Amino acid sequence: MNLANVLNQNNLNRQQRESILGWALIAPAVIIILSLILYPIIYNIYLSFFDVNMEGGNTYIGLDNYSNVASDPTFWSAVYTTIVYVFFTTIGTTLTGLIVAMAMNKEFPFRGLVRSLVLLPYVAPVISVVFAWKFIFDPVNGIFMDIAYEKLGLFSERINLIGSPGAAVWVAIIFSIWKGFPFAYLMILSRLQAIDGTLYEAAEIDGANGWEKFKNITLPEVYFVVGAIVLLRIIWNFNKFEEIFLLTENVKVLSVYTYFKAFTGAMEMGQGSSLAVIQFLMLIGFILFYVKKVLKW
Amino acid sequence: MVKNKSILNRAGFLLLILCIVFFSVFPFIQMLSTSLKYQWDWGNPSLIPTQINLEAYKELLNIGQAEKSLPESIKILLDETPDLTKTQRNSIIAKYKDTSAAFPFFRYFFNSLILAATAALISVSLAVLGAYSFSRMQYKGRSTIQRGILFVYMFGGIILLIPLYKMFVNLGFLSTTTGTFIALIIIYMVQTLPVSLYMLGNYFRTIPFSIEEAAMMEGAGRFETIWKIIVPLSFSAIITVFVYSFMIAWNEYLFASVFLRGFEKLHTLPIGLKTLYVSKNAIWDRIMAASMMTAVPVIVLFMSIQKNLAGGLSAGGVKE
Repeated sequence: MNLANVLNQNNLNRQQRESILGWALIAPAVIIILSLILYPIIYNIYLSFFDVNMEGGNTYIGLDNYSNVASDPTFWSAVYTTIVYVFFTTIGTTLTGLIVAMAMNKEFPFRGLVRSLVLLPYVAPVISVVFAWKFIFDPVNGIFMDIAYEKLGLFSERINLIGSPGAAVWVAIIFSIWKGFPFAYLMILSRLQAIDGTLYEAAEIDGANGWEKFKNITLPEVYFVVGAIVLLRIIWNFNKFEEIFLLTENVKVLSVYTYFKAFTGAMEMGQGSSLAVIQFLMLIGFILFYVKKVLKW
Repeated sequence: MVKNKSILNRAGFLLLILCIVFFSVFPFIQMLSTSLKYQWDWGNPSLIPTQINLEAYKELLNIGQAEKSLPESIKILLDETPDLTKTQRNSIIAKYKDTSAAFPFFRYFFNSLILAATAALISVSLAVLGAYSFSRMQYKGRSTIQRGILFVYMFGGIILLIPLYKMFVNLGFLSTTTGTFIALIIIYMVQTLPVSLYMLGNYFRTIPFSIEEAAMMEGAGRFETIWKIIVPLSFSAIITVFVYSFMIAWNEYLFASVFLRGFEKLHTLPIGLKTLYVSKNAIWDRIMAASMMTAVPVIVLFMSIQKNLAGGLSAGGVKE
C-alpha cells in the first residue's frame, strides 16, 4: 500500500516533469511562430481597416480599403489571371508528374541517371533558371521564336511573348509546370513502387489491356496521393510570387498585384493588407470546397 | 506481328524518356551554352558556341579585370610610361579603377550564404528540440501544436510581408545595416521553422523508442538522450532538413527585395541578378554565367542528399 502510493506519486511527478520539459523544448519554436507568423496575420487584418502611413500614424477608414479594391477593375483581372494560372499549373504539374512517374517506374537503361536529371528543375534556384527561360522566349535571340517563326512560320513576326500580358501568363504556366512537376513525380513514384506487382499479372491473365490496367489498378492506388498533390499545388500556386514576378512582371496574379500596390508608387499598404486578406479568404474557401467535394473527407 | 508491335512500343517508350529528359534539362543546356557564347553568336540557335567565350566567367570571378575597368586615359598613361614600378602601377590602378560597372558576384554570393546558413542553422536547432518534444513526449496541448504547425503552411509570403515590414520598421530594425541583416535572418528562420519542425517530427517517430529507453535506464537525462542518441541517429535527416531550409532562404526574393531597399551592400544573389538584368541591356552571357554559378552549388548540395530526398518529400515536409 505504502509502496504503491510512493510509486504513484513518482509517476505523477514524472508525468509533470515530462509535461514541463515537453513545453520547455517546444516553447522557443511556438513563441517564434506566434509572434512572427500569427501576430503579423492578425496585425495584417487590423491594418486592412486603416489608411497606413509609413512615417506617421494610421487613420481608421473602416471598409474603405476593401471597397476601393473591389471597385478596381485591375483587381478583378488579377483574380481572373490567378484562377487561370492556378487551374492550368495544377493540372499540368500533376499530369506531367503522373506520366513521368509511370515512365520512371519501368526498367530502361541509365534509369538512375535519368531519375536524377529529372529532378534538376525542382532543385535549381528559381533565380538561376528564370533567365534561361527568358532567353528561350527572347524575341531576338531565343530558340522558341527561331523555331516557331523562322522554321515553322507559326507567327507573322518575332513576338515578345513574355512582354505581352496575354501570352506571358502561358509562358509562366509552362515555366511553373516545368519547375513543379518533379515534386509530383517523386510523390507519385514512391506510391507506384508500393503497388503489388501481382495485381497487374492477375489483370493480364484476365486479358486487361494497358488502359484498363491503368484505370482499374494504378489510378485507384494513386488517387489519394494525387489528391494531396493537387491540394498542395493549389495552395502553393495560389500564393506564388517569385516564379511569376522574376519571369515577367506582366502577369499580374494577386500576389504580384498586391506587391505592386503596397511597395511601389503610392505604397498603398492599407489596400495591400486588405488584398492579402481577400486572397487568404479565397484560398480558405477554395480549400474547404475542394476537401469536401473532391477529396470527400 | 506481336514482336513488331512490342519493338514499336519499346521505341515509343524510349522516345518518351528522351522527351522527358530533354524537357527537364534543356534550359540548363541553354544556360551553359549562352554563358559561353560571344554576343554575335547569341541569335544562333545551335547550342554549341561557334567560339568559346570565357569572358563572362572571368568577369564574375574577377580574373584579369584590374586593367579592363580603367578609364581610357589612364590605360594610355600606363602604356606610355613603362618605367613605373609595379607598386606604382598597382596604386594607380587601384585609384582609378571603376568598380561601379563590375558585378559584385562574390559579395552577393557571400551575403546569401551567410543569411541562408545562419537562418537554417538556427531553424534546425530549434526544430530538433521542438520536434523531439511533440513527437516523443506526452503532454497536454501536444496535438494542438502539431496541427498548428501544419496550418502555418497555408500562409503565403505576401500576407506576412506587409505586417512584418511594418513591425520591423516600427521596432527600428530597418534603419541600420546590421538591424536589416538581423531582421532578414529572423524572417528566413521563421519561414523555415514550420517545415523543419514537421519534417524532423516525422523522422523522429521512426526511431524505435527502446533505444532511448535503454539510455534513460542507464541514467541519461532527456537532453543527454537527444544529444547522444537522437541527433546521431537522425543525422542524415537533420542534414536534409538543413539543406531544405538553406534552399528556401537562398531562393528568397520577396522579403529581400523589400527589406534591402537602400542597403546595396547587403543585396543577395536573387536581388543582385535581377538588378543586373534590369539595369543593363544585352548582357546575356554574364546573366547566364551568374545563373550557372548560382545554380551549381545548390544542385551539388541537393544531389548529395538525393538519397534522402524522396523520403523527406513523402514525409510531407516541403514548402515552396
